[in-house]
Amino acid sequence: MLLVWSATLLLLGFAQGAEVCYENLGCFTDDRPWSDTAERPIARLPWDPEKIGTRFLLFTAKNPDNFQEISTNKDILLSSNYEGGNMTRFIIHGFIDQGEENWLLDMCRTMLLVEDINCICVDWKRGGRTTYTQAANNIRVVGAEVAYMIELFQTHYKQKPEMFHVIGHSLGAHCAGEVGRRVPNLGRVTGLDPAEPYFQGCPELVRLDPSDAKFVDTIHTDSLPMIPYLGFGMAQAVGHLDFYPNGGKQMPGCDKNILSQIVDIDGIWEGTRDFAACNHLRSYKFYNDTILNPEGFLGYPCSSDEVFDEIGRCFPCPTGTCPFMGHHADKFKVPSGQEKLKFYLNTGEAKPFARYRYMLTITISGDRTVTGFIKVALYGSNGNSRQYDVHSGLLSPGKTYEVYIDTEIDVGEVTKMKFLWNNKILNPLLPKFGATKMVVQRGKDRKLFEFCGEERVRENVLQTLNPCTP
Amino acid sequence: MKAVALLAMCMLAVALAAPAQEKGLILNLDIGELCVNSLQCKSSCCHRKNGLSLARCAPQAKENQECSPKTLYGTYYHCTCESGLKCDSDITIGGSITNTNFGFCVDPNDKQAAD
Repeated sequence: MLLVWSATLLLLGFAQGAEVCYENLGCFTDDRPWSDTAERPIARLPWDPEKIGTRFLLFTAKNPDNFQEISTNKDILLSSNYEGGNMTRFIIHGFIDQGEENWLLDMCRTMLLVEDINCICVDWKRGGRTTYTQAANNIRVVGAEVAYMIELFQTHYKQKPEMFHVIGHSLGAHCAGEVGRRVPNLGRVTGLDPAEPYFQGCPELVRLDPSDAKFVDTIHTDSLPMIPYLGFGMAQAVGHLDFYPNGGKQMPGCDKNILSQIVDIDGIWEGTRDFAACNHLRSYKFYNDTILNPEGFLGYPCSSDEVFDEIGRCFPCPTGTCPFMGHHADKFKVPSGQEKLKFYLNTGEAKPFARYRYMLTITISGDRTVTGFIKVALYGSNGNSRQYDVHSGLLSPGKTYEVYIDTEIDVGEVTKMKFLWNNKILNPLLPKFGATKMVVQRGKDRKLFEFCGEERVRENVLQTLNPCTP
Repeated sequence: MKAVALLAMCMLAVALAAPAQEKGLILNLDIGELCVNSLQCKSSCCHRKNGLSLARCAPQAKENQECSPKTLYGTYYHCTCESGLKCDSDITIGGSITNTNFGFCVDPNDKQAAD
């Protein structure tokens, strides 16, 4: 009887903790925490590597336009353009996506404009075009394959693990985490809006976390909960640096009407992708922009987006300077032992996404209090900005208004400012307003510029303010 | 077939536009949304790159940027200027017909100061 019981228990245990093993990659179980938890209710074993069909598409300085397909085969590897002395960056796509998608290839091409690297797009589309639960487990095999590839590079080219950087979008971010778990001392992992379902709140073994690499940075662009807002990305901070552009929840330019969203400037396909997951896909678009323009993506340390945006604090950059979001985030020295540092910034609604933050303090003078709005433009050594709406409501003479603006260009050293007011109502008394003093503070280096003015202007007329003369 | 699809889409657009007040499909369009006339845009500039491309709402031209004076066409190859600025261009008959009276935005107050 005892024998029967123990046999049954053994079988049950077997049924619960099924395991598959693949050559070179090791074994994969569906034990806890991989399944059977509140976050991961459905158990799935990762597919066979054959079935997933992972491909590695290599770009180097020798072939910046077209990729070379490489594999774990030693001959193919050694005869490729792979440069063992250079840094290697992998890009891994997410659910339903494919490695030959424009954004991955473009990202490689853009990176090759600024640096001499090996850029490898990892294509696992057959493993990603299935049920979500299956795809969420297939990334374990894909991660193991990338780790095996890194191992091969290390043996054939004597490359150090610090020379590898894995960039992953959505499910690919957790896949990059898996790579980091398997490769000790991996240089860097970047998570572009890491996927939320089946990962948020899970143990560190399952998801991306700061222990996966020496430096882990993430960009959160779709962090609203999956239910009911259909936010695909996770809100949880999972890196050393976590960036929340535009608060991380709702991206500007993603609330267009259906027709305008689908009929996109970048084509119907890109538009359709945005229609399905605009916020979620913004993460790699931002990253792509940061490669050429790090200065426009300065992250301000802050506790939450309300504090950053609605109250407008967390400004200017602390003396240790702010990190750049995206590609150049690794220039920031993370204080030892610190992780999950949160940074906030605002971006544009379309390409180019870069923005530069300033704080303005405006003191106005006038005849009497009226309702209206104020616009201000900045002029500097690099050109001039647009007019920004800085206040709307009561315009009271003598009052000082404090606002933050995110300009689309870095005006450089601010040389003058222009002030304009309007209220769209004809007033026969022709009231006049003017700015007596404007102080601009630049976010990146806390530098102050002061401007003074004496004249007052009628509505819709620009008043120029010049630097104050002591 | 294409025409029918387009018509259906337009009908849908009209139907959806009716209740939406803040963010319309027809009026009050944000930057980047498709438009046929500048009146539809919050930024009051419906911009197209060339005669064949689709028009989308775009921000108005800032100072020193290329611009068009206000025209009756409703769409622009270069947007009109922001408030307080004037589009300094030579208006020709040919340019008026082809909607290509381009100039640069200038601040009329600066000019007086220079004179």
